[in-house]
Amino acid sequence: MGGSAGVLAVLASPRIAAARGLLTDPTLDDVIKRALGAATKAGATYADVRIVRRRNEGLGTREDKITSVYSSESYGIGVRVIAGGAWGFAAAPAVTAAEAERLAKRAVATAKANASQMKRPVVLAPVPANVDVWQTARIKDPFKIPLEDKAELLLAINREASRVKGVKYVNARYAADAEWKLFASTDGAYIEQEIVRVGPGYTVTAVDDKRGEFETRDHDLAPMQAGWEYIEQSSLVADARMIAEQAVEKLKAPSVVAGKRDLILDPSNLWLTIHESIGHPTELDRAMGYEANFAGTSFATPDKLGKLRIGTPILTFYADKTTPGGLATCGYDDDGVATQRWNLVEKGMFVGYQTTREQAGWIGEKASRGTCYADSYASFPFQRMPNVSLAPGPKERSIDDLIAATDDGIVIVGDGSWSIDHQRFNFQFGGQAFWEVKGGKKTRMLRDVAYQANTLEFWSACDQIGGPGSWKMGGAMNDGKGEPTQSNAVSHGCPPARFKKINILSTNRRGA
Amino acid sequence: MQNEGQSRRILDRVVKLASAAKGAGATAVLRGSDGGNTRFAVNEITSSSDVERLTLSVNVQFGTRSATATTNQLDDRSITDVVARATRMARLAPENPEAMPPLGKQKYAAVKGARDGATIELTPAERAKAVAAVIGAGDGAKVQIAGFYEHASEMQGLASSEGLWAFHAWSSCGLSCTARTPDGTGSGWSSASSNRVGDLDATALAKTAVDKAVSSAKPRRLEPGRYTVVLEPAAVADLTGELASQFGARQADEGRSFFAKPGGGTRIGEKLFPDTITLRSEPTDTALTATPFDGQGLPLAPTRWIDKGKVTALTYDRYWARKQGKAPTGSPEGWILDGGKATREDLIKGVKRGVLITRFWYIRSLDPQSILLTGLTRDGTFLIENGAIVGPVMNFRFNESPVQMLTRSDALTPAVIAGGMRVPALRTHEFNLASISEAV
Repeated sequence: MGGSAGVLAVLASPRIAAARGLLTDPTLDDVIKRALGAATKAGATYADVRIVRRRNEGLGTREDKITSVYSSESYGIGVRVIAGGAWGFAAAPAVTAAEAERLAKRAVATAKANASQMKRPVVLAPVPANVDVWQTARIKDPFKIPLEDKAELLLAINREASRVKGVKYVNARYAADAEWKLFASTDGAYIEQEIVRVGPGYTVTAVDDKRGEFETRDHDLAPMQAGWEYIEQSSLVADARMIAEQAVEKLKAPSVVAGKRDLILDPSNLWLTIHESIGHPTELDRAMGYEANFAGTSFATPDKLGKLRIGTPILTFYADKTTPGGLATCGYDDDGVATQRWNLVEKGMFVGYQTTREQAGWIGEKASRGTCYADSYASFPFQRMPNVSLAPGPKERSIDDLIAATDDGIVIVGDGSWSIDHQRFNFQFGGQAFWEVKGGKKTRMLRDVAYQANTLEFWSACDQIGGPGSWKMGGAMNDGKGEPTQSNAVSHGCPPARFKKINILSTNRRGA
Repeated sequence: MQNEGQSRRILDRVVKLASAAKGAGATAVLRGSDGGNTRFAVNEITSSSDVERLTLSVNVQFGTRSATATTNQLDDRSITDVVARATRMARLAPENPEAMPPLGKQKYAAVKGARDGATIELTPAERAKAVAAVIGAGDGAKVQIAGFYEHASEMQGLASSEGLWAFHAWSSCGLSCTARTPDGTGSGWSSASSNRVGDLDATALAKTAVDKAVSSAKPRRLEPGRYTVVLEPAAVADLTGELASQFGARQADEGRSFFAKPGGGTRIGEKLFPDTITLRSEPTDTALTATPFDGQGLPLAPTRWIDKGKVTALTYDRYWARKQGKAPTGSPEGWILDGGKATREDLIKGVKRGVLITRFWYIRSLDPQSILLTGLTRDGTFLIENGAIVGPVMNFRFNESPVQMLTRSDALTPAVIAGGMRVPALRTHEFNLASISEAV
């Protein structure tokens, strides 16, 4: 707890002057100084300030029309303090020194009002006084690409898909998100970061008017922390015809027959299963009961650390906020802790949690894993999921190799409907496209497929995974957690994997 | 936060600036909230925030070209910038043949009592006091307790270059809590929301959650299958909300919704539900924090979407209404599933063997055409035998449609507020509890 003197020293240091690449407004130094000073004077034992600007841009289309064009921007300041062992937080959109002081005092008053309801005062794990600048590796700033280029790309997708007979509707969309933030704390942190993410996609709908039935097929290009070059180099347009043909074929495909089958999951499907069944259960706040009123708790309680077998020995899941392109990747978290990579599940055994500075001590760890995040200036920073990935197997093995090794099974591509219980045991997932595998060959398409399992049984049934060349990232821009709910962007990399004898359901309308 | 006069001055200025360019039409929306919350878990306060938010959106149109830009800053430079961004993007945007011109002057229903002073002025110390009552109930019963208490003062104003002016300000609040037994085998939940903080009874909510946690401990395993179920209001709201989101006329006309008639057209006029089922919207219901106009400024009228079992209306946006020769409905607010006269005990008494469900979790669509959903039961699931609750059972994953829930329902209690709607508890049959969840 260095008090605001730490920041004053930082501001005078040549390191910040040298690091100043992105910062555009030097008056913010004064805003930060006044906020931290006012919080300390009012009785805070710790304070941090985040000044955050978020920009979003997007286009929506249907068939040959642009249905929406938007650009949004939000800017503001949030002050978080500890006083009397309790947290307090206040935020407002006006970023001025006077406002910063007012918010700091308000946050301290709130913390003091809460102090009587604290049984164990908040204690933060130590952290070095990090001073740095970090930004997304990118070539083309998506916000500087002309709108016409973005519109043309989406309309080209729609044109390609609409050429396929039986396709009635196509909705292509594009969204970009830029998150700039300046973070400073009374522990001496002074960190500026800019994160840019892009998320394209489209949905093709095939309709059979006579039968009054329809099916959709989403394209599964993963959102990524990247510039416009990621979109340019993608196969979005090239895939449109194939995706459309699969939507039509799916509409005509037979419904799956329920029963136990071997399951081969493409990375475009498996990433979401990892997110739900490995990512969320290893959030320490959830495991300790902090999310009990909303998202729930976890089967992975601290007494099971190092003892619980989650899956077969071929499975190692790691958390990583440094993976290039990962949606949750950054230099420092919103506690000012440098990001890192560590194992959550090692050779099938549960070995690690996601933590923040507040949480590290709960399980006897000396330092935070660096997973604190707030989704805007107005949001209280708390534990959020880093990129959580499944390491590939040592030998090169593709999804085709997994299919060739399977006598009777189903291949699933793309993420569909997903639902998991509040302790992360029972889940049920769908997909975008499903094929039957017979005698080592991918045969006809199926529809109405969902797989339902218990997390531990499911990962214990995983007998083959792909190699390094088959590893791909999927991700979500909007993972929800907390009250009020905050949104987190997160990626999950994985190879394809095979699971033996999994419960397959039919979701057709005659009843599942 | 801006009052009506301040909002009008800001929006008039923005609209004037945005429609200054030749051929430009403009619509501007200002939304604001000033609120606080206190979160608690493991029987102590875990975080607490006081937050001011603001959004100014400007939509600029040149004929059928349009774009929207948004900011949360109201200084001169930011307003000039947001208008310039919208204008620049609108000029670049391709023609959209479905674009509608800015909305003109409208008439809205009068709403009284939407803003409650005590809710707006609630302090962090008062929040902590209410939370202390909940935590105290948890401590007293030796259970773990977690929850969330929030309140806000909110406003929304709209203006357009064609003379639209809409303004509504309201307060909102909610308190929910979850109790868990120390052995981790029992969990109970309760929740309330209103626009008046005086409607939230922290002690009563805590008691319900604690009682449910204690009585749901050590559940037995019940075989999955189709059961008669008594759904408490929160569970009914969870499923009814999914049905309420499916009333779009365009989706129905295009053959891609439950309300599409096979072979073309919609199912308006078809009697799909029992006489007891009436689903309506009431935009002046202040306790539901409903607003008398939607996000585009369209006036909302009290509407019956299902009337005594018959589908009577679908929602039309402005474009689809014009194309189909209908009146636009706006996006409904204040959903109400009318209740009946039964008591909760009556519902239970009429069950030979069935399950009582407190609420659902993680609901996702399986088949949009039949509104088949999957999800899980949570925080209090009990076996009913011969008209009485006999004990807790493990949670289930369900695969069921709200359409079937209503179709097979045979008894309803009066409606209460749950899940942001007014809904009854109800009894229904052959509800598909498809697999067991070990989650507590």
